[in-house]
Formats: sequence, C-alpha cells, structure tokens
Amino acid sequence: MREEIRKIQSLMEAAEYVTDAPVATSVHLALSLKKPLLIEGHAGVGKTEVAKVMARMLETNLIRLQCYEGLDASATLYEWNYQKQLLHIKLGEGAHKPVDQEEHEIFSEAFLLKRPLLQAITQEESPVLLVDEIDRGDEELEAFMLEVFSDWQVTIPEIGTIKATHPPHVVLTSNRTRELSDALRRRCLYLWIDYPTYEKEIAIVERKVPGIDARLASEVARFMESLRKVRLAKVPGVAETLDWAQALATLHADHLDEALVYETLGCVLKDADDIKRFRAEVGKAGLAPFLQVSG
Amino acid sequence: MPPRALSRAVVAFGALLRRHSLPLTSLQITDAVRALDHLDLGDRDEVYRGLRAVMVGRPEEAPIFDRCFEAFWRARSEADAVAEALAGPAMPEEAPGPALESEGARRERLALEGWSEGGDEDEGGEPLGVPAASELEAMTTRDFSTFGADQLDELLRLTEQIARRLARRLSRRRRPVRRRGRLDLRRTLRANLTRGEIIELRYRQRKRRKVRLVLLCDVSGSMDLYSRFLLQFLFALQRVFARVETFTFSVRLTRVTDVLRARSYRQVLRRLQEVRDWSGGTRIGESLAEFNRHWSHLVDRRTIVIVLSDGWDTGDPDVLATELLRIKRRAGRVIWLNPLLGNPSYEPLTRGMAAALPLVDHFAAAHNLAALRDLAGRLSL
Repeated sequence: MREEIRKIQSLMEAAEYVTDAPVATSVHLALSLKKPLLIEGHAGVGKTEVAKVMARMLETNLIRLQCYEGLDASATLYEWNYQKQLLHIKLGEGAHKPVDQEEHEIFSEAFLLKRPLLQAITQEESPVLLVDEIDRGDEELEAFMLEVFSDWQVTIPEIGTIKATHPPHVVLTSNRTRELSDALRRRCLYLWIDYPTYEKEIAIVERKVPGIDARLASEVARFMESLRKVRLAKVPGVAETLDWAQALATLHADHLDEALVYETLGCVLKDADDIKRFRAEVGKAGLAPFLQVSG
Repeated sequence: MPPRALSRAVVAFGALLRRHSLPLTSLQITDAVRALDHLDLGDRDEVYRGLRAVMVGRPEEAPIFDRCFEAFWRARSEADAVAEALAGPAMPEEAPGPALESEGARRERLALEGWSEGGDEDEGGEPLGVPAASELEAMTTRDFSTFGADQLDELLRLTEQIARRLARRLSRRRRPVRRRGRLDLRRTLRANLTRGEIIELRYRQRKRRKVRLVLLCDVSGSMDLYSRFLLQFLFALQRVFARVETFTFSVRLTRVTDVLRARSYRQVLRRLQEVRDWSGGTRIGESLAEFNRHWSHLVDRRTIVIVLSDGWDTGDPDVLATELLRIKRRAGRVIWLNPLLGNPSYEPLTRGMAAALPLVDHFAAAHNLAALRDLAGRLSL
C-alpha cells in the first residue's frame, strides 16, 4: 500500500473516523489528482463525515453548501446585501452624490454577501467544499457547479472576475433521490459507501462511544447487521447505531435482552410499520436470531 | 510518469470498459493514467480501488468494472480469453433474423418506433392514411382489445399522434398566478437605483418544477396489450415530464427505463424481449415490494406513480396493501389504471383490487384512446 494512503488512513482514524482502504484510496486520489469526489450511499452511512474529516485532517476550513429543491444557482455564489445598500443610499441622501459614484460604492465588496461557492474560492488556503445532497437540487444547479468546478473563477459584473488562488477540495454527496447527470459523474471520482461490515461497525461504535462494554458493542453490531436484512421501510444507518449504542451505554447495559431492546427501539427504528414488523419477528423466535452470525 | 506500457494498458482497459457500455470520457482515461502515479503499482488491490474510483460513475457500473478488471489484468495477452470471460453482460451483435420475429414482435417494434425522438414531424398537417374525423372519434372510444391485429399498427400510430399534440399543449399551458410571489429585493433595488426611492416593485416566484412519472405496468396475459398502449402514449408525452421511469411486472419486476431509452427500435425490441417474462400469474404485491426495496428513491412528492393492472393478484392482498401504502406515503399521487373499468358491468371485486382501491388517488380505465386522453389531464401536481 502506498505510504500516502496509509497516512491518510491513520490521519482519518486520528480524526475519529473509522475508515477502510476504498475510502482512503478515493480521498488520496481526489487530493492528488485535484478532482471532486462524489460520494453516494444509503442515508446515514457517513458520507458527509468524509468531508468533515478531510477538513480536520488537512487542518483547513470546511465550507458547506446544503442543496435543496428550488435552490437558485446564483444564490450559491453571492448576493448583494440590499438592506445595507438601502441604508447607505438613505444615509447619503443629503449629499447629492453623482449616480455612478453611488453605484460604484454600493456595489463594492463591502456590500457583497459571499455565499458558499464564492467563499470557497476566496480563501487563503484550499478549504474543503462540501456540496451536500446535490441530488436534492435542480439539474440547472448541477450544470452551474460543473461550470464553476472547471476553472474556479467567477465573474461578478459589478466587481470583475475573481479567480481562486487556492482551489477547494470538493466533496459532493448524494442520496440518489434523483439520478445525477453523466457529465457530473464523469468529472468526479466516485465512491460508494455501503453499510459497514460487522467488524467495521464494532470499531466505529468503540471509537465513538468510549467506555462501551466490548460484549455490548459486538452485540449491537451483530444486531444491526441482522436488522438491515429484514425488509424495512427505513433501514437504520450508522447514525442510528451510534445513537443506540450511546443510549445503551448511558443505561450501563453490558448485553442486549428483549426488554432493553424494546425500551430503546426508538433509537433504531423510526417507522411505525417497521416497529410492528420487528415486534412480530421477535414474537416468533425471540431476539436470538438477531444476535447470531447470519449466513 | 508511469511506465509507458502500463499507461497503454490502462488506455486499452478503458477501451474494453467502453465496449462493455461504461460511458467513459477521455478525461477519465487520462485521469486513470495520472492516477497510476499516485498508487502503489505493486499492490493489485490498490490499483483496482484507484482505477475504480476514477472509472466507475455509478453503483450499477461496479460489477461490470469488476468483471472487466478481473479478466483484463489476469491475462492481458490472451485477447480472446478476455472476450470470452466477458461474454456475460454483452449483447448479441446481430439483429435477430426474420425467422425469430413473431407477429407480436413485429407489432411491438412498430409501437416502439420513434419513442425517444420527440420530433415535430407531425407539425405540418396530418400524414396520409389517417382516418376521417367521425371514424377517428369511433376509434378513440373503442376498447383496444376489440381491434383486429391488422388495425393495431394504425391505432398505435394514432395514439402517438394524439400524445404528441397533447404534449405541445401541456408544455405551452400557463396558469394565472394567484399570488404575486415574494418580493425580489435584489431586482427591486436594481430597478430603482437611479430614483432614490422604491417605486417599482419586482417579484419573484419559485420555479415550477416538472413532474416525474413512475409507471408500473402489468404485462401478464391480457394486460400486455393495454400496457403497450399506455407506454406508447406516455413516452410520446415524455418531454412534458422531468423524468419517466418504467417498470414491467408479472411474476417479478423489471426496470425497462433504460431499454426504452435506446436509440434504435431494433435494439429496443431485442432488449425488451430479453426482459419479458411470460409465465402466467401476477404477483402485484411482491412486485411492488421489490420496487419499494430497490427503487423507492425514485419516488418523492413531485412524482406521480401509475399502476396499470386488472388487480388479479395471485399473491397476498395484505402485501399489496402494505406496499401500496408505502408508495402512497412518498408519492405526490397514485393512479391506478384498470382497463376492465371500461366495461360498464365491471365491479372491482377481486381481492387485490379491493385492497388497493382505498389507497389510490385516482382510479380510471385507460382502455381506449379517449381514456388515455383523460388521463393526460391528471398528470400534473
């Protein structure tokens, strides 16, 4: 294994992120080829976490752009602080300044509200730009991002062109509620994060819930592994595992039993039908099948 | 710089992936070569992970990549062996001979012709051979199943024509705005800059997003004919929608969206035949369950889900109800089309239908052209 990849892996571990070779390799290549990294996977497998850890690892800023339906492409770049502009005009009313001087003043950087994309290209040091849940945004937004990513410069008509001296490291995440365009996919490195394996999940639990009983951690991981195989409307992710493990640790539990699972089920299952289905399963054969090594 | 031979091998590997329908760009191939510089070339797994990160763009492509990688880097010199090892996902190159083409297949081919084109060739008046108005009216209200095999081609053409005309109308339609929307301060300020006072107000409104469609078509037995018309109709309408996803089901569920997107109808025909499963019996509940398991991410509030089926379910009606409810919770609207509804004496008494009915927003027939036209009016949110 390449020394850098091993280093990234240990740096990520040091930043409290349990990682594996595919994640480390992708991060390493994204950094060295200077390409955006597109991460897909089920909800709650730690996609966003990769960007956060990257920022911590590189000791740089994390700039986050949360996408949502109807997010206007231009609003991701900059907006003018119109309240401030209005006030400025009002205050200067007596002075009878020439119009073009006034315009020059209120369309200067002091009145500019930098939105994430502009922030990301005006940093002293390459930040990590996290474009979260890009699938929730529109296709136009996607096209706009591609344009920005291609040359890292932005033109503001009133000010001029701003070019990034330190282009950001980009991480995009998607939950696949919408298929992303091929153009975007082809320009990014791609990483699919699956639910963690049993071993990895134990490691995550032990890392994130310090002091948890070893037997409990292993049972929790085993239980989650089995539970994800049941047909559920809302399959629990790692976030749910951690909430649950934290709750169990707080209750000073050292192993799982039926009563304890029922009491804390709300941490794991968040759909009434799922809870009903789970109870039916447990009613049939008890908790044991969930704690066995599944074939 | 990576060794020349290795760079060249990566380029050849890229070409192989392309042949197996991974849409690689040349930038990606360049990146793959560049990536070699940053990988431990003695570590096969690392090279594999690195190249995969660069060359794979979506999860469905990963198995193809894996197979190609295995085959290519195992025995690169034996080109024939590679081809053999990869025969799995490959499509037969030759079109099926005339002997293979049944009557049904021929009809289907015609039905699929011109789907993805969305062109406007019907702009300049009706093409020849279209029935006169009164005859046309009669045709639009007759149940599809009452037409003879020889009339179906013509009927399919007519279906497409009507759909295209509708598409033009739907995409042109503007609605009067009830409220004026939010004040757009940025534009307002801009517009009034030289006045010193705010006189003229500017507004903005949220962009109206197009609706997505998810079609689940029963292709068992008698439903097949109706499914075909519905598909033909909706695909001619598809540019009105943000996206159309299509699945067929009888015993199991098959996603045919990509198949329907194929350029040439010959290809479409070939692929559709591959996915067809003609075995009797319908398990609607199970099929919907499968849809929910793997494809529920396609459904959101801006999605209309259309199920076309007569509701003859050999499975458990409770499963059907549970799964349909799950779809209904996510979707903007659920429409159930049952061609039997066109028959005045029909009552939805099958167990499946009875379970489904309380959960659907709209229940309609889709048994003739007039019914399809009515359906078009329901396809907005």
